[in-house]
Amino acid sequence: MTPELVVFWLLSVLTVASAVMVVSTPHVVHAALWLVVTLGAVAGCFLVLTAEFVAWVQVLIYVGAVVVLLLFALMLTRSPASTTGATSRNRPVAAFAGFSTFGVLAVVLTSGFRGIVLDLDSQPDQLGGAAPPERIGDTRSVGEAIFTHWVLAFEVLSVILLAALIGAIVVSGRVRDRDRQEAAAGGGS
Amino acid sequence: MNEFIAPTVEYAELSPLLIVLGAAVVGVTLEAFLPRRGRHRIQVVFTLVALVAALLATGWVAAGLDEVEGASGRGLIAAEGAIAVDGPSVFMWGVLLVFSIISVMLFAERRIEGGVSAFAGQAAALPGTEAEREASRQGIEHTEVFPLVLFAIGGMLLFPASNDLLTMFIALEVLSLPLYLLCGLARRRRLISQEAAMKYFLLGAFSSAFFVYGIALVYGYAGSFTLADIHAAVDNNTGSTNLLLAGMGLIAVGLLFKVSAAPFHAWTPDVYQGAPTPVTGFMAACTKLAAFGALLRVFYVAFGGAQWDWRPMIWVVAALTMAIGAVVALTQSDIKRMLAYSSIAHAGFLLVGFAGAYGGDGITSLQSVLFYLAAYGFSTIGAFAVVMLVRDPGGEATHLSRWAGLGKTSPLVAGVFAFFMLAFAGIPLTSGFTSKWTVFSAAWAGGAWPLVLLAVGMSAVAAYFYVRVIVLMFFSDPVVDGPTVSVPSLFTSSALVVAVVATVVLGILPGPVLDLAQQAGAFVR
Amino acid sequence: MDATPFLTLSALLFTIGAVGVLVRRNAIVVFMCVELMLNATNLALVTFARVHGQLDGQVAAFFVMVVAAAEVVVGLAIIVSIFRARRSISVDDASLLKY
Repeated sequence: MTPELVVFWLLSVLTVASAVMVVSTPHVVHAALWLVVTLGAVAGCFLVLTAEFVAWVQVLIYVGAVVVLLLFALMLTRSPASTTGATSRNRPVAAFAGFSTFGVLAVVLTSGFRGIVLDLDSQPDQLGGAAPPERIGDTRSVGEAIFTHWVLAFEVLSVILLAALIGAIVVSGRVRDRDRQEAAAGGGS
Repeated sequence: MNEFIAPTVEYAELSPLLIVLGAAVVGVTLEAFLPRRGRHRIQVVFTLVALVAALLATGWVAAGLDEVEGASGRGLIAAEGAIAVDGPSVFMWGVLLVFSIISVMLFAERRIEGGVSAFAGQAAALPGTEAEREASRQGIEHTEVFPLVLFAIGGMLLFPASNDLLTMFIALEVLSLPLYLLCGLARRRRLISQEAAMKYFLLGAFSSAFFVYGIALVYGYAGSFTLADIHAAVDNNTGSTNLLLAGMGLIAVGLLFKVSAAPFHAWTPDVYQGAPTPVTGFMAACTKLAAFGALLRVFYVAFGGAQWDWRPMIWVVAALTMAIGAVVALTQSDIKRMLAYSSIAHAGFLLVGFAGAYGGDGITSLQSVLFYLAAYGFSTIGAFAVVMLVRDPGGEATHLSRWAGLGKTSPLVAGVFAFFMLAFAGIPLTSGFTSKWTVFSAAWAGGAWPLVLLAVGMSAVAAYFYVRVIVLMFFSDPVVDGPTVSVPSLFTSSALVVAVVATVVLGILPGPVLDLAQQAGAFVR
Repeated sequence: MDATPFLTLSALLFTIGAVGVLVRRNAIVVFMCVELMLNATNLALVTFARVHGQLDGQVAAFFVMVVAAAEVVVGLAIIVSIFRARRSISVDDASLLKY
């Protein structure tokens, strides 16, 4: 057993266990905290796969921003932490759907990639990839890919963020006092 | 250290997209600097000017497209392979922008609500509280809806034109996120509207998770996101077929959700009912067009070589969608829900054309679907515009029983609505007939004749509930203190005139638009 | 090492997320489960990037994360506003819209 494999197995057990806790714990704040564990473990998997940039972005965006937002929302909505009615009645259906989905996906994925060996040390140009000859997945190589081939998608992403920001302000922001006075002075134009 | 090579972006060919997204950003800035008085008027004018400019730019781009060597289409792959500016793309851009202009005119309508728009004055104010009434009284309103709708339109322009799956996913989110928010902004019936927004959001996020997992599987299969590379991988049969099938299935789930095809249609009636009516009309016409464009591009370009694998799936979905749309619409008592099921049924008819996958002489499946989308969009925006006009003191009178006898009290409005119903039913001399005829004949030529027979049967079932509405309006007695028909401002009236004229012209003289759709040719890969 | 364990883990995580969306009633927890599904996607994308010896999959994973962040902003704004109006964010209670 290689060290990578040991680390991977530890991380995957952690990922699955904490993900099951997210889905099953009746306490919603605990669900959010278990989500942190899952996200962290997945970030660890990214590191095993030598995707350093993605791993650190995962920590920054997901653990740092998304989960904090989720926690804020949970606090704002003061959801009851009781166990009653935490899950809805369609459990058997969901369990069936879940098992069949997993069965199909697992068969598909493993049949497609059985025996494919991930060479975690090799240089990408030996593998015939389009990446520059640094280690694949570091910030420099990802940055170059984003700002050359994927530049349009990247710019459109910034538009998404702006739209989400404006939209959230519209839904939850209050009218400023200055506007209120103006509107009152204008007699409701 | 190797040199950084700057990417090439074909700004001229992308100008419609850049104009719309740029205008959205400028619109946000205008929000910050303009005084509240007059902001609404300036935003409306600015949005319309931007859309007209984008439409002119689209015409200019369309005129300058070059033939592609060794292929039947015209156009080019722009922005480092992210966007295909080809005949179908510019056709859809043109139609989308025309629909958007009409929809924004409905968004701008203020007269029928007594001086305010159809959107919540202050979305953060609790429904039924003093704060809400005060905002209403003072005429405070959210003019941010105009930048938001421009963002959504930008995403819709990008969605059917994207040449790789990743750009397509991002475009899907650009068009969806503003729509989730717009759905929750109705001025009347705030709770239903917010609920519609939440349902649409949760189901939309769920379906886009499936979509992106499908993208991941296809990437695993082909080793690339670009549609042409996936096409090559499918032709050479490089990877595991199971992986391709699972990926196609999951991508189809995401796209069929957006076109509201059964069994992924559950959100449609709820969201169409809860959203502000101008937004509903916009979604029914524009989202459907953009999502069908993307569906056709992915399945014809990337998975064209595997069509014997996906066609059975689409056959089943098309049959199910037509049946559910037409049959469940019979039981509806709310006019907006009925129109929602009608839009599901029409998604089924469109899927029939798609399932034909005919690419030979005459009108291809792609061209027939493009024509159908153009014809259907005008009628559906028009129908929702009429729904905006028929009002009770508490807002729109959407219950079907309230529409009884409308033909006697206001024959003009009822006549216009009846005309749209006839177009939906596919009666000759309306656009509905010509568009159904082109789609079904292309599907027949593609060998999907059992599906076409079923579609004709379902059209008959659907015709029943459209005619039922007409009978209700013209042959039953008016209800006591029934709904009033508001006199709209110039915006809604001209939008309605455009919709009626387009529905008539596409029914009597479909030639020019059909020619345009035929000139659009095929997708460029 | 073999690619299969990573892909199996991704499939498992996706399934857990999907089941969670179907069984949980709290809208925010439903949304967390969608995040689990997106994470499963990212894991698959990064693994495939490694299999094909390319960067594109990693770039895609990065983009998916940014999209997820934007979705969180929009979603939570909608969910919090609906909570303020009706003091509940249970998916099952949201039932003014009936057939």
